[in-house]
Amino acid sequence: MTEHSLWRFSRALHRAINDRHFEDIEALIDEDVEWALYGPIDMFPFLGARQGKDAVLDVIRQLADNFQVRRFDRESIMLGVDSAASMLRYSLTALDSNKPISLRVAQFAQFRAGKLTSMRVLIDTFDLVEQALGRAIHLPKMTSVG
Amino acid sequence: MTVEKLNRQRVLHLLDAIARSDLQAALSCCTDDVDFLTHAPIDVLPHIGPCHGKKELGEFWRTVQERYAEIRYEVPQIVAEGDTVAAYLRVFFRKRSNDRIVQVDMAVFYTFRNGQVAQIREIIDSYDLVQQVLEREIGPLILGERVDGG
Repeated sequence: MTEHSLWRFSRALHRAINDRHFEDIEALIDEDVEWALYGPIDMFPFLGARQGKDAVLDVIRQLADNFQVRRFDRESIMLGVDSAASMLRYSLTALDSNKPISLRVAQFAQFRAGKLTSMRVLIDTFDLVEQALGRAIHLPKMTSVG
Repeated sequence: MTVEKLNRQRVLHLLDAIARSDLQAALSCCTDDVDFLTHAPIDVLPHIGPCHGKKELGEFWRTVQERYAEIRYEVPQIVAEGDTVAAYLRVFFRKRSNDRIVQVDMAVFYTFRNGQVAQIREIIDSYDLVQQVLEREIGPLILGERVDGG
């Protein structure tokens, strides 16, 4: 039984972020890959949409510059033939402050011939921003709309 | 038909029911003890919280209906395996108060039991959602400026 592309990609991604070993991940990304990590790009420049392998590798390098993955748990995972979706909880360390960050993340990936062609990632970004700031953001109470 | 195809259709059927405001049909897709969890700041979205059982979930969906005149879904990606389905949704809510559209991308993970939805877990780009609901940037709030709510 062949290993699903997600497992190879996931191992290579974590090796790239934690060990700055980018050769494995480079081989697993399609030249025309579409990539989106949704979130406030003014606060986190590595978030946002990218197209093409070079742009995605640049984002992965920025992630490696900023974070160390301490631990991740897949709370839910679905594997299709050439696709995968998973809900994860990441425990990271922000390298500039040595601050721990805990994230809820959803990943939707698509592969072709073993290479990543699409990755969409959703993060509970309000929680991320509060953790990065180290304090709560005081929002107005809304009772009539929203 | 495989269980995966069937469950994928069931998710699309549930989304259709919500979009056409047929809450009875939507709730009939769920088990009596359906468990729903999403994450967003309750100051701005007080109705978003954990729901246990059909009654609470029905009340949540009813609150959403009261606030939004129209809900429309796009499903760019859906993955199913066994009794679980993950849907990447782009959802458009039209506010009743001023007709503005709130557009949210969300990841929704469904777990089925005996053909019904027993668990729903959502992950949303919550920072963007809050800004759209408030209809303003959060940046000034981070800097400590006061912003009045609605």
